[in-house]
Amino acid sequence: MRWVRPLDSGMPAEVVGGKAHGLGVLTRLGLPVPPGFVIGADACRAYLRDGRLPHGLAGEVRAAVAGLAAAEVSVRSGASVSMPGMMTTVLGLPADPVGPLLDAVAEVFASWHTPRARTYRDLNGIPHDLGTAVTIQAMVYGDRDPRSGTGVAFTRDPTTGAPVLFGDVLFGRRGDAVVSGREPTVPLGELAAREPRVWAGLTRAAARVEGHYRDACYLEFTYESGDLWFLQVRPGRFTGAAAVVVAADLADEGVIDRAEALLRVAPADLKRVARVTGPADVVARGLGACPGVATGRVATSADAAVRMAAAGPVVLVRPETSPLDLRGIAAAAGIVTARGGPASHAAVVARAMGRPAVVGAAGLVVAAGSVRAGDRTIPEGALVTIDGTGGEVALGEPAVTESLADAHVHRLLGWADEVSGDASDRPGPDRLRAAQAVLRQ
Amino acid sequence: MLTLHTLRCAGSTTLARLAEIAGRAEPGVESELIDLAVAGLVTFEPGPFGGWSITPAGRAAHAAWIADELDAAGTRPEVAGALDRFLPLNAELLDLCAAWQLRPDVRVLTLLDDLDRRAEPVCADLTGALPRFGRYRVRLAEALARVQAGETRYVTDDLASYHVIWFQLHEDLLLTLGLPR
Repeated sequence: MRWVRPLDSGMPAEVVGGKAHGLGVLTRLGLPVPPGFVIGADACRAYLRDGRLPHGLAGEVRAAVAGLAAAEVSVRSGASVSMPGMMTTVLGLPADPVGPLLDAVAEVFASWHTPRARTYRDLNGIPHDLGTAVTIQAMVYGDRDPRSGTGVAFTRDPTTGAPVLFGDVLFGRRGDAVVSGREPTVPLGELAAREPRVWAGLTRAAARVEGHYRDACYLEFTYESGDLWFLQVRPGRFTGAAAVVVAADLADEGVIDRAEALLRVAPADLKRVARVTGPADVVARGLGACPGVATGRVATSADAAVRMAAAGPVVLVRPETSPLDLRGIAAAAGIVTARGGPASHAAVVARAMGRPAVVGAAGLVVAAGSVRAGDRTIPEGALVTIDGTGGEVALGEPAVTESLADAHVHRLLGWADEVSGDASDRPGPDRLRAAQAVLRQ
Repeated sequence: MLTLHTLRCAGSTTLARLAEIAGRAEPGVESELIDLAVAGLVTFEPGPFGGWSITPAGRAAHAAWIADELDAAGTRPEVAGALDRFLPLNAELLDLCAAWQLRPDVRVLTLLDDLDRRAEPVCADLTGALPRFGRYRVRLAEALARVQAGETRYVTDDLASYHVIWFQLHEDLLLTLGLPR
């Protein structure tokens, strides 16, 4: 085989892409991964150079697909560096005949050169000639029956860094439904009571992948009729307080040394940002689009926001935003949208105006004068609190802190002073930078 | 009706900004606003977040007018085609704005310049289909020139920023074709 490689080939991410590399790690750790194979990025480079799939690829794919013994497969892009959402993914494609499958592979290769993907690479310093690998796997069905579902999990809480499984799950749905944010998810913890065997499998996997990556990790999974399958793993790449807590905890656990802990934290992670700390009555979750916490009364239109803002702080809740909402955003203390991502008009405007914002809170249905969150109705004027880092929308006024990780920050900066040999009174980021300068020499 | 349309795309705003958006002198725009207010189609609110805005009756009248306008021009396929070409550019522009807000880097401005060049033919075709779209090209170029002159708040942070004008163009395209967001 020249172009096609097994998932557990052990080849580096530069050849098989980050996604297949992670699937190989999972396989070697003895964790369940749907059978599959990967077409290396070298085939993509050949396609981009010649304008057609390379000679011999069709035969290799036909043989490899036959080996999967699957009725349907998934076809996913995966470059050696992360380019989230930039390239094509095809789910539920019949494995036979092979023609449409090869068309899908060509489509994924071609998506490497969309103008948006080019701009993304320019922005992030990713070379244009890398190309993407393509992973083809037997489909597993999170929508098979009531004992099926799909979800995403962090091995530690990405807000606080606490060593607890954290994430979202959708019962009876496929993976694309979770990632797209179109459907409301439930907190991952609800899986423990509903599917104890799946939960136990997740807990075991969390320990193994952390042991391998020596970091908090992110996992995507599907369970089908009670059987757990992993679809992706990568290091969690936490930021803010969570980055500090995880680095210090891993050093205390002896998983990494103190020098590595100091190098993993960015000076910006030490910035104090207001966060909601439990317990909070969280009615919806979205993506944090502009950091900070805002508490105010719910307004469901720009007009209401302007009117109500005269009497006190307002949180504007919209399905998504149009220019008609601009003055409402200006008048509000915080913004929530049901649709959209961190690169949406709403997110850009909220950041431009410095308003804490949660976007893509998929569970919310906004009507005139009220907001529905699952089976609960939040009337206009109800008090809510939003966290523009973690993406929580909570009823009332839960506890808020700017010092989520004080003890960990104190410990980490103590190590920093030992490294730099300078214990003078300076801002935290300066103490960290001094230590990093010594460690990078 | 063009004043009503401008107000519908721009959201609530001041007379000065409305005149700037339309590229017209203030007295003419103000006189039209007063006529529209008498007809119950627009309203003026004082206060820090106030200004001229469209009423529910104004929105209904506007929806009818804009559908008639496109039918009369007979250029629905051209406008719909322009929207198809606009949407990938829109995703790319939002990536650029988000990157700029995270890390204001001159590389983002070079890429914005490149995107603007690729948006130009789409704007030109739109203007050919409905001449009132020509104003966006002028305003986007003005915002970009200010950015290039060092006034970087005209990327995302001003009500006359490249992003806000683009956001209004996006809204205008959807309204013109009668599509939801």
